[in-house]
Amino acid sequence: MPGELSRAAAIVGAAEANEIGYPEQPRTAIQLHIEAIKNVSDQTGIPISRINGVFGAGWSSQIAEHLGLHPSYIDTTSVGGGRARGADPWDPGSLYSNPYGVSGAPSNYSHAMTRHNYRWGTTPEDFAHIAVVTRQWATLNPRAVMHSKETHPFGGPITLEDVQNARMISWPLTLLHCCLVTDYGGAVLVTSPEVARSVKTKPVWIAGAGENMSHSNMLEMEDFTATSAAASSAAAYKMAGMGPEDMEMAMIYDSFTVTAGITAEMLGLAPRGEGFTLWKDGRAAPGGSFPINTNGGGLSFNHSGMYGMQLLVEAYRQLSGTAEDGGYSGLPGKQTSARSCVVNGTGGSLSTTGTLVLVAD
Amino acid sequence: MPYTKPIPEPDPLGQPFWEGAKSGKLMLPRCTSCNRVHWYPRHICPHCHAREIEWIEASGEGRIHTFAVQHRAFGGWADETPFVTAYIDLNEGDRMFTVLRGVDATKPETIKIGAPVKVEFEAASDDVSIAFWRVVEG
Ligand SMILES: [Zn+2]
Repeated sequence: MPGELSRAAAIVGAAEANEIGYPEQPRTAIQLHIEAIKNVSDQTGIPISRINGVFGAGWSSQIAEHLGLHPSYIDTTSVGGGRARGADPWDPGSLYSNPYGVSGAPSNYSHAMTRHNYRWGTTPEDFAHIAVVTRQWATLNPRAVMHSKETHPFGGPITLEDVQNARMISWPLTLLHCCLVTDYGGAVLVTSPEVARSVKTKPVWIAGAGENMSHSNMLEMEDFTATSAAASSAAAYKMAGMGPEDMEMAMIYDSFTVTAGITAEMLGLAPRGEGFTLWKDGRAAPGGSFPINTNGGGLSFNHSGMYGMQLLVEAYRQLSGTAEDGGYSGLPGKQTSARSCVVNGTGGSLSTTGTLVLVAD
Repeated sequence: MPYTKPIPEPDPLGQPFWEGAKSGKLMLPRCTSCNRVHWYPRHICPHCHAREIEWIEASGEGRIHTFAVQHRAFGGWADETPFVTAYIDLNEGDRMFTVLRGVDATKPETIKIGAPVKVEFEAASDDVSIAFWRVVEG
């Protein structure tokens, strides 16, 4: 039975900043935020003056002030998604990790791939399928950085060999196992069922939500092949009164191929050790039975360092059908017929997770 | 040769570790209530939340839990790429992170998870010695 807050709120719009990726003119973070908010207001017809809550990955109060709003609810997050670490010299990372030459996410996440290969008998090539299939999605999205040779010198379709022969970053992760780092601004508008029924856009219902964390520093990651997405998705499924078998697509933070593969397992979409098979056998690919990361993912679409919003914008588009509207979606048409989507973001060093179960009417 | 890589600024909480390191001893915090070792040092036992924590001299032995080969790095480490980083399962329990010695970073397939390792220390400055782990014959 669904929890009492299931479907108590809906996403009624999702939009992006006007220019994303690698814009010729430098953008500020606040500009990307404001453009996306203006666009989602235009899309839904809900005036910015009616916004009464602001939630950002940082920046919430600056955004509200920039808009001249006095919202009754603001919140923010500091659970990561590639956030720069604080410079506290007595932080455990500063004391016991950083002296050993690790620098940023790739140098950490590679340890999880090695352990997954050992524990489950997988190979880096298995995970390379995730990069190949995700690029296929990007070739369908003109706003994806890696859409084609026109959008990026290395854009367009890639092969397993391309992935495995790319420059090594942190073995076993080559460059093409790693996500992009680009400019991106996105916004979704969340509202009550009453307002959702009165606006011109279609609602996508928040059926379930869950959060969890297993550690902050990777030193405390007990099982390098598992994340707290098992717990956050269990909570989200329970609240929704649904399970992984009810999901028709997924949006998964793919900071690295290994992140996506492990997360698919944690979300119950594949058995332990077999997450990559969703991509390898084509189920996750365009035209497949279970689309994943239909925007082209952090791997090939865009990745601002905190990718959660990109997941939500794309999930809304797919479930609401607004991918068809031209608008700010960029997509030439709706890519899936999914009516339900599990969305999962991962922050830090496979540390923190948030899961949403979204459903269309 | 001067030590060119990042030198941590020892904290009061970890003082026994930093002192031990200078004389080549691996000191680990252990809760006197549940007897479990934890790493990194805490103000409270993360297992049972007792606050009485003692320091023990550890065996300095462990095994590779997982590893990676770093091909990109900054500062002094940039001159040493590729190098192997690893999480070490300590014989006394819990894990440490390190740069692994006694391995060929150009042949990661020869490095084995579960391989036994032993700690050694390098003086980075007069006040700070850094723990590294070396693969030893099993
Ligand atoms: Zn204890």
